[in-house]
Amino acid sequence: MFKRIWSLVIKEFVHLINDWWMPAFMLFGGIMELLLVGWATSRPITNLPLMVLDQDQSAASRAVVTALENTGTFTLEAQAPDMETIQDALDRGQINAAVIIPPDFDNEIASSTGRPTLAILLNGAESIPATAALRAIEGVTRDMGKRITLRRLGLRPENFADFNPSLRVWFNEALSEALYTIPAELGLMLEFTVLLFAALSFSRERELGTLEQLLVMPFSSLEIIIGKSIPVVLVGLFDFVLMLGMVHLAFGVPVRGSLALLLILAFGYLLVELGKGMVISVISRTQHQAFLLVMMIGMADFMFTGYAAPVESMPQIIQYVANLVPAYHWLTIMRGILLKGAGMEILWPNVLALAVLGLVIGTFSLRYVRRALD
Amino acid sequence: MSLRHLRAIIRKEINHIIRDRMTFILVMLTPITMLFIMAYALTVDIEHIPIAVLDFDRSSTSRAFVQRITEGKDLNLQTYMDTLDEVNDLLMRGEIKAALVINPAFEHDLLSLRGMPLQIIIDGTEPATGGFALDQIGGRADAFVGELLAAQIGEQGRALSLQPIDLRVRTLYNPSLKPRVDMIPGLISMMLGFPALSVALTLAHEREHGTLEQVMATPVGRAELLLGKIIPYIIVGLINVIVIPVIAMVTFHIPFNGSFPLFFLLSAVFLFAILSMGMIIGVFIRTQPAALALSFLVIFFPGFFLTGIFFPIASMPEIMRIEALVLPGTHYAIITRGVFLPGVGLDVLWPYGVMMLGLGIGFTAVGVLFFRKKLG
Repeated sequence: MFKRIWSLVIKEFVHLINDWWMPAFMLFGGIMELLLVGWATSRPITNLPLMVLDQDQSAASRAVVTALENTGTFTLEAQAPDMETIQDALDRGQINAAVIIPPDFDNEIASSTGRPTLAILLNGAESIPATAALRAIEGVTRDMGKRITLRRLGLRPENFADFNPSLRVWFNEALSEALYTIPAELGLMLEFTVLLFAALSFSRERELGTLEQLLVMPFSSLEIIIGKSIPVVLVGLFDFVLMLGMVHLAFGVPVRGSLALLLILAFGYLLVELGKGMVISVISRTQHQAFLLVMMIGMADFMFTGYAAPVESMPQIIQYVANLVPAYHWLTIMRGILLKGAGMEILWPNVLALAVLGLVIGTFSLRYVRRALD
Repeated sequence: MSLRHLRAIIRKEINHIIRDRMTFILVMLTPITMLFIMAYALTVDIEHIPIAVLDFDRSSTSRAFVQRITEGKDLNLQTYMDTLDEVNDLLMRGEIKAALVINPAFEHDLLSLRGMPLQIIIDGTEPATGGFALDQIGGRADAFVGELLAAQIGEQGRALSLQPIDLRVRTLYNPSLKPRVDMIPGLISMMLGFPALSVALTLAHEREHGTLEQVMATPVGRAELLLGKIIPYIIVGLINVIVIPVIAMVTFHIPFNGSFPLFFLLSAVFLFAILSMGMIIGVFIRTQPAALALSFLVIFFPGFFLTGIFFPIASMPEIMRIEALVLPGTHYAIITRGVFLPGVGLDVLWPYGVMMLGLGIGFTAVGVLFFRKKLG
């Protein structure tokens, strides 16, 4: 049996080498692109175009503008002459936010009971930059406000440095954006690579008419399935190790937990995705269909990796659905081991969920594929 | 170029698409399915973030403080803890996203105006929730201190807080800053990109099966053949251009403030550009697996991450900003958001339309040229 499976594995690798474009694109192209995307997007949100309408033109209003510039979040566009310009720029999507400083801003600050006003307009058509802009503006006004109050009370701000709570950021002391975007991007790349390879395994042979040849040979369906699976899992693991090494070198993504555990669990996760891919591969009559199904399933899974929005904030029913997505558990495991240095004692609920999902998908997949082949 | 030839190719291609019922259904339904999945997954209000409190002070002031921090819907007091180890453990398990550590002298130091011995711990692996929690806690802590100060210094009778600046925030087009209101219009470019993947695959399919030579032996010209291949998918795409906004508006209450004919027109231009990209892949690559891998890498992955849907283009490095201009999705995302939300017209959107048209013509030219060389 092993000999026959071995010959099937050899056959698959001969195919891969003959049609080497596909593995080359998927592995090396994929890694290059992961590095590129990681480089472009794993950074704080900066340079958001901001417009200021300064109706006060005082020292205080200029201090606000300088403080906003110093956050690094904004690039200041030219001062707006009037509200129409701001409205127009917002409509055109040229700016993400605008700050309007009213004429009496300075006086209100100077008076002991004044309540200086700042009007903020945000471009909600891009919610992610708008949220970042709001946070930066709130930070600036909070600092200014504190200083104003202390001055009004006749106190010196230096004495009140102790009123700022001390902050500790766990698992990511430098607040590096790479540490949370890269794992999700890597996870997506890995999932697609494995799903695509697996989904092509039978659909391609069927479309090219070679599946019949394979079936008339003296292989049992189980042997064929195993023979098809081994190269997929090997390629997937190789891809994972390569990508992990690259992001570790390029973006300093740490491996704080046990690398061995990570690799073992990666192997398990790949088996689950393999099961999904095999089902797709048998359902699809052509490679085209297989590809569309992979794209759809992969993109749906991506919604639960916490990249676009935190899963914990989704409606309860969606969170139940998320628990059925292998990629969700895998991302939790990967982040846990890479960033938190977590071990099995912490990760067991996700590992268990992944194992149950794997068992269900694997059993279904095996029965379904065998029936389809026989 | 003859219309008759073009029509013959289109008819052949449509026959292909329809005869293969399953593929047809998939090509038609993938974009709509994506819409539903995304709309449900992006219904996010950041609230109920679990936090823990480690209160070493156990005074009435510290209790009032905790009460104050967790009075809203956004931060949920999950539990009171006794030791720092327990807090670490919960953070490790991801059961809490932030923690407050109130030091023993909290009440004493606050009432004697020495400071606020408080430590905020956040989970740095999830900045979306951690950063949010930090902002909320920081703001409420300031307000709390302000009131204490006012009471201490005897400025009663007038509302004094550490936040005398009255920040009046108005968010246009999407007042509650719900991600799905702007993400769904932004992601339409991904949904309409599916037909482009199909174009790349059908061309590669013909080469793989050797049927392209048969067609080439007929008097049909190369440009006719390529256009004939693309147009059916433009039609499929245009049907989706009508269906997707209707579902987005009716089912998910995404506002559509602009002009529909304009949206339709610019979507057609986008389809032309993105399908031409698919065509180039199909022309260069001779097997389907390779075409599929390449269209994933060229159309899908960058279309997702580098077109400004999730990460603003302004914050990217210079080179990537230029690269983003070559992706039709970048321009189309601006157009869809502009038409859906502020409801702007052609006077604002024409540069993006022109860019997409230019890209489409450029891609098609490259495709036709190389097609000629390869088969000529």
